[in-house]
Amino acid sequence: MAVSTVAVHGALADIAGREHCLRDPAALASYAIDGMIPAAVVRPASADEVSRLVALCAAERLTVTPRGAGTSMALGNPPRRLEVVIELSRMRAVREYVPEDMVATVEAGATLDQLAAHFAPHRQALTLDPPGGGARSVGGVLATHASGPLRFRYGTGRDLLLGARFVQADGALTWGGAKVVKSVTGYDVPKLLVGSLGTLGVLVETTLRLHPTPPASRSWRLGFPSREAAGAFLAGLLDSPLQPDRAALLDGAALRRAGLAVDPIGLLLSISSAAEAVEHQGRALARLGASHGGRSDQAPDRAWTGLGGAVDGPILLRAIGESRRLLEWVGEAHAAAARAGVEVMLLAQPGHGVLQISIGDGFDAARVVGDLVLPLRRALEAEGGSLILERGPIEIKAKCDVWGHIDPEVFTIMSRIKTEFDPGGVLNPGRFVGGL
Amino acid sequence: MALTPQILGALQDIVGPAGLVVSAEGRLTYECDMHTFYKGAPDAVVLPESAAQVAAIVRLCRREHVPIVPRGSGTGLIGGAMAPEGGVMVSMTRMNRIVELDFPNRCATVEPGLINLWLSQATRDRGYFFAPDPSSQMVSSIGGNASTNAGGPHCLKYGITVNHVLGLEVVTGAGELVRLGGKAHERPGYDLTGVMVGAEGTLGLVTGVIVRLTHLPEGVKTILASFPTIEDASEAVSAIIRAGIIPAALEMLDEVVIRAIEEGVGAGYPKGAGAVLLIELDGPTAEIEAQSGPIEAICRDHLALEIRVAQSEAERALLWKGRKEAAGVFGRLTPNWLLQDAVVPRSKLPQIMKEVLAIGARHRLVIANVFHAGDGNLHPLICYDDRVPGELERAKQANEELLGACLRLGGSVTGEHGVGLDKRASLPMQFADADLDFMARLRRVFDPDSIMNPGKLLPSHPACGEGFRPAARPLPAGTWI
Amino acid sequence: MSQTQPVGPRLGAFDAQDPPSMDGLRACVHCGICLPQCPTYRVLGEEMDSPRGRVYLMRAAAEDRIGLTSTMARHLDLCLGCRACETACPSGVPFGQLLEATRGQFERLGVTAPTRDSATLRFILATFPHPGRLGRMLRPLRMYQRTGMQAVVRGLGLLAPFKKLRAMEALLPRVPRPGAPLPELIPARGRHRGRAGLLLGCAQRFFYPDVNADTARLLSAAGYDVVVPRAQECCGALHLHAGRIADFRAMAKRMMRAFAEVDVVVVNAAGCGSALKEYGHWLPDDGARAFSERVQDVSEVLVGCELPLRARPQTVTYHDACHLVHGQKVRAQPRELLRRIPGLTLVDLPDSELCCGSAGVYNLLEPEMAGELGRRKATRIRETGARVVTAGNPGCLMQIHQHCREAGVDVEVVHPVTLLARALEER
Repeated sequence: MAVSTVAVHGALADIAGREHCLRDPAALASYAIDGMIPAAVVRPASADEVSRLVALCAAERLTVTPRGAGTSMALGNPPRRLEVVIELSRMRAVREYVPEDMVATVEAGATLDQLAAHFAPHRQALTLDPPGGGARSVGGVLATHASGPLRFRYGTGRDLLLGARFVQADGALTWGGAKVVKSVTGYDVPKLLVGSLGTLGVLVETTLRLHPTPPASRSWRLGFPSREAAGAFLAGLLDSPLQPDRAALLDGAALRRAGLAVDPIGLLLSISSAAEAVEHQGRALARLGASHGGRSDQAPDRAWTGLGGAVDGPILLRAIGESRRLLEWVGEAHAAAARAGVEVMLLAQPGHGVLQISIGDGFDAARVVGDLVLPLRRALEAEGGSLILERGPIEIKAKCDVWGHIDPEVFTIMSRIKTEFDPGGVLNPGRFVGGL
Repeated sequence: MALTPQILGALQDIVGPAGLVVSAEGRLTYECDMHTFYKGAPDAVVLPESAAQVAAIVRLCRREHVPIVPRGSGTGLIGGAMAPEGGVMVSMTRMNRIVELDFPNRCATVEPGLINLWLSQATRDRGYFFAPDPSSQMVSSIGGNASTNAGGPHCLKYGITVNHVLGLEVVTGAGELVRLGGKAHERPGYDLTGVMVGAEGTLGLVTGVIVRLTHLPEGVKTILASFPTIEDASEAVSAIIRAGIIPAALEMLDEVVIRAIEEGVGAGYPKGAGAVLLIELDGPTAEIEAQSGPIEAICRDHLALEIRVAQSEAERALLWKGRKEAAGVFGRLTPNWLLQDAVVPRSKLPQIMKEVLAIGARHRLVIANVFHAGDGNLHPLICYDDRVPGELERAKQANEELLGACLRLGGSVTGEHGVGLDKRASLPMQFADADLDFMARLRRVFDPDSIMNPGKLLPSHPACGEGFRPAARPLPAGTWI
Repeated sequence: MSQTQPVGPRLGAFDAQDPPSMDGLRACVHCGICLPQCPTYRVLGEEMDSPRGRVYLMRAAAEDRIGLTSTMARHLDLCLGCRACETACPSGVPFGQLLEATRGQFERLGVTAPTRDSATLRFILATFPHPGRLGRMLRPLRMYQRTGMQAVVRGLGLLAPFKKLRAMEALLPRVPRPGAPLPELIPARGRHRGRAGLLLGCAQRFFYPDVNADTARLLSAAGYDVVVPRAQECCGALHLHAGRIADFRAMAKRMMRAFAEVDVVVVNAAGCGSALKEYGHWLPDDGARAFSERVQDVSEVLVGCELPLRARPQTVTYHDACHLVHGQKVRAQPRELLRRIPGLTLVDLPDSELCCGSAGVYNLLEPEMAGELGRRKATRIRETGARVVTAGNPGCLMQIHQHCREAGVDVEVVHPVTLLARALEER
């Protein structure tokens, strides 16, 4: 960059305060992404500071990489450039919360655990639960479109984000959406931001839809002897009026890792409702499971928090296909893993066709890419699905794109959007699909 | 602006003579949707039967700088399906097939002109339905629902149209036929499907929709509770939500509307109540039973005069028929009306209902109320007679004040009807210049030559100094005998 | 056109003589709920061939925004007059009356669409409502059928180049030999309920005389003295639908005189029944309202009576004749009667309320649209798997019979009274 590092640090410090502008190279090293170390890390305290920081970076032709709690920075292609990281961990206030409205406006740096504690006394919750993600910032969860078992009933960030305040690539503080649960006033800008990896704007404040916490909840683990049996059970469950709120599908390895009884395929389900309804549905669930050769046992609520372990391998893939094909892809993933000579753990979102494949240590990068990632991706894409590398070391990213193929006509539109709102390539350049 | 014979000929080449309407009489019938306040006849109407035809139409219009206005069933309430600048109206009514029902994947692929209710009817025997149920669902099209991100009484529990759209096939304003989304529930990249839903035809024309199908609930319980006043009913709504119960639907109707419905379809609503709540619980039977007791108790705590539970499917259907046809029965109530669609936070419902009454009294107009109380989406119907001097002005004034009151309470301009022509001037009350600018730039990405439904959704740039013109377009000479 | 101008203020492009009601036009809130119920909208998907669009045009004319043009006439011609829109309309727009009034204005003005088949219409109006003329036409038609000529003509498609003629020929049911006319009085059997006048109808009496005979038998068994006035001619429905309001009024008056001495006027043809029930609207000063209140469809009368019926196992589906379900709001009574026949399984007909395309003589004037609707109706009937389809109107019976035959749908097509009469236990 043309401007001297010292000058930049000075300007950043003028906005955020010296103590919130990281310069020490050793400290900066811990902010590395794919081996690239940023030139500066700033921790603003307010939306206004973020706005001024981004404006400064834009003027100085520096790139900006937003960061929440920092646990998902690995998602994305290696950065083209990594200059200023704006970390939102100081911005974690709950700005507005009217329990009766079941809507809350919170700063993007607030963590899921923090919010859970905040809403629990009112028997409400933000129904986002990416496995092992309690410490994640809500902004990060939204920007990466992360989701968990609660998706089964409540959807994802796309369905929960009502309004967003964000800073555009030129520093303009912008608002999109609404603060009420129903609004069609203008374009649904929040939809554009969810899953956009900060490439269109830095989320600073989010207005979220909450849900009441049902009075009672029970969880069950259903184990099946085969993929076919599990698939038949799952089809039966989806075709029934039963309404679990959380659902997860695990293979034997994931079950073991999560501390649950092991079967070839297991489903972890919870039903949350009035107590009588929980009992009633639970019995129906057990009957349905038994009718497909499954054995069911009660699972403690903390079984859900154990799921994080199933997706914490050095390589994490996200296979997305048609909902009805989920168990087939489980089989394909196991076969591919065998070919590639790796141990995997599988955690899936039943009913949504999303399968996370966690690959353990001791892998051969070339085999992982050649025997697992690329063939699986090709097979999924042939059916309109996709395979994303959510996390992986640089030697894997060197051999395959993180995101996979995007239909060229659709990519053209995405590219135009990026060019329109970030012509200078300020925000997280190169990390998103197609190198956007 | 009239269309040249060459352009008309080119349109006819695309859709055939039976797909082109150019007579003055025909175009006249397309000059408005349900909101007849806004009239603007197109210069031609085309009725394509395939996505390829739609793409050809858009490319032609782009080449010739002719505005395009899409139209479904024409039941919108925002002056959306009318052509203030003339141009070509593209009616999607002939593209109305169910292309595929995919029950294992719980989705359906449909053409945009398919009537919303027809999809639910086609899937009912198999145990599924299409959850978004706007009151117009017996006539509005799924493409129209997607374009306005329609709501409906059951969106309180099930979400709005965008939560039920997995993919869209669209022709953008640039003339590109693209497939956004698909059967998979997520994909890398920007959520273009999410942005296109609710875009009111300004970003592209929807030629195909992949929608989620939802399993029919195990049980349904429909409760009609009548109250002495609207305030009592509003307080009951707040209390139900505070108790952590989210019914499938929670609708309020006031006495003016009740009277009209009883005169019209006759739904068995109690006369003499100040307001009624139509509460529907659905889901597992055990859950419904556990929730209905507390709901009834809350209603009684708020002075409910009568609590009636529908005892049969026929009774339930009748109660809903009254609610769904409320818009239609207004013809019995009043010669003319202005309709708001503003949303307020639920907690502010009692407050805004007081304001509505005060505004009505202040302007000496009847304001009827039928709306989705559960999510704070109001539908105050301001009744007036345009034959009485001054009433229209008072109605407009009341309209403005009402909207202002809603926004001051932290609400939104429109909850489900959309912006169209009717509400675009109000957007600056909710968005700052930077926000509107962002949306305008997004629009240009999809519609670089500004041909897609011009004059809708976004306010015109202040520099243009353009006001709002609801007057009818004069017909060309020669229509007289 | 040298007619004296009607006295009174004009209503826009309409003159003062029987204009459509402005209140009726203004009742339309443009909600569009009528659209999916309209057969022509279902086929064409165009606004101007929907009830909402037609009302819009009428209102535009009433507000002087357009004149009464031949294009507008075309869109009104295409309207079946089935009134499904009235059933759907939440605001109570009296579409049927608005349509008839507007057609009346067009008729007097002499404005027609270029596609209008005036020759056929003139022929129909000159023959159908005149029993003598219609009766005389039928002998050669019977010969045509029984000598095998019809089989040859149809088999060789000889009428293919003559669309209208072909349409009429295709519609022709088996013309029965004229039996003995019904006596003027058929006494009641059992407990006496009253005097019922029987309307013979024009098409019914010649093409389905058994339906009249069965109706009389059933009424008598139900306890009515059945009076069959010789003086009755035509109810005037065809003239009303064609906008010949003055002719219609004259025929209505004659009809009312013929049935002056009965407690109830029983009609088994939906189109006629609907017209008779409207006499009160079109002739408010002539005791017509009282007359109209005495008119009932045969199903309305019989549903209130007990009839001894023996079992006859059959699978039946019921088609709602427009002028019965929409014009007279009679939908439950025929179904209830059919359910009373032991062994009869009544299968629901999807879109039963959607017009079959007969709509009076519409299928002779607009064969393309009528044909499309007839084909769709035949498909729906096939899908029920029923062996019998029943409807309370001769026009429907002819139309459905033709299209089921042409589509290879193997069903018997009969009037509900035929099924009831077959099951009637005579003592």
